[in-house]
Amino acid sequence: MPKNRKLARRKKRRTVPVPTASMGDIAFLLIIFFLVCSETTQDAADIQVTLPTSARVEKAKPGAVARVAIDKDGQIYFNGGRVESAKDVELGISALVTRTVSEDQRHVQSRCDAGVTNDIFEPVLTAIAEGGGILSAIGTKKESTP
Amino acid sequence: MKLREKKNREGGIPTDSFSDIAFLLIIYFLVATTLVRVQAITSEMPSGDKAAQAQSEKTPIVNLRGGQIFFNDAPVTIEALEESLAALDLPARAPDKRVVMLESATGTPYDIYFEALAAISGNGGVVAMVKPEK
Repeated sequence: MPKNRKLARRKKRRTVPVPTASMGDIAFLLIIFFLVCSETTQDAADIQVTLPTSARVEKAKPGAVARVAIDKDGQIYFNGGRVESAKDVELGISALVTRTVSEDQRHVQSRCDAGVTNDIFEPVLTAIAEGGGILSAIGTKKESTP
Repeated sequence: MKLREKKNREGGIPTDSFSDIAFLLIIYFLVATTLVRVQAITSEMPSGDKAAQAQSEKTPIVNLRGGQIFFNDAPVTIEALEESLAALDLPARAPDKRVVMLESATGTPYDIYFEALAAISGNGGVVAMVKPEK
């Protein structure tokens, strides 16, 4: 067997260089792509919300003018910061809506816990309407039963 | 006096590790990013004046009380509400005739309200919230 090996033709080793000069450029382009395409949320991460379900929900339009949340304890948040009442939401939305130029920019994303009662969420929804916002109520898709 | 000749020093910026830094940044972004697919219902609600106008004419009304849905004072399921609203053909109407009033009794949870809101908005209705009289 060792003889056979000796007899076997020795293959020439070819070194193929991998072009790595443009790797840095590609990587930085990818970073720029991620930075441009990503939308950072202004919601506070620790808000505990169980979203309601509906078969009617669709993909939300990007670029909301403001984000409102009501957690399971009924505490109201406006753009990630806690506010005392629905009146603060109305004032905040009014201020932000005045800077907008088109209808699409008036969307206000609302996340509300499914168990919160109407004495808490109705004043907030009214505040969104009174402030000039278009309500975009976040929920989860209800799977239709066959 | 003979001036001293300056030595030509060739200074180069080391760029060999740039791609490593860039890829590390990409990995950081990928790990730290939370991708959320937000789903929502869009509903334009008229402010106080329009709601008052809506009440002056006979408009459809959805009531939420005791965990039940009522459409024009008749108890309905969410599917029946969808059918009733679809039968009204709201998108074909003028914008001021698309108003559907939504009233909720004290203690109504948001999940029922959300379903009613979604049904009205999904069928082309403009939601007018009815405030309880004080």
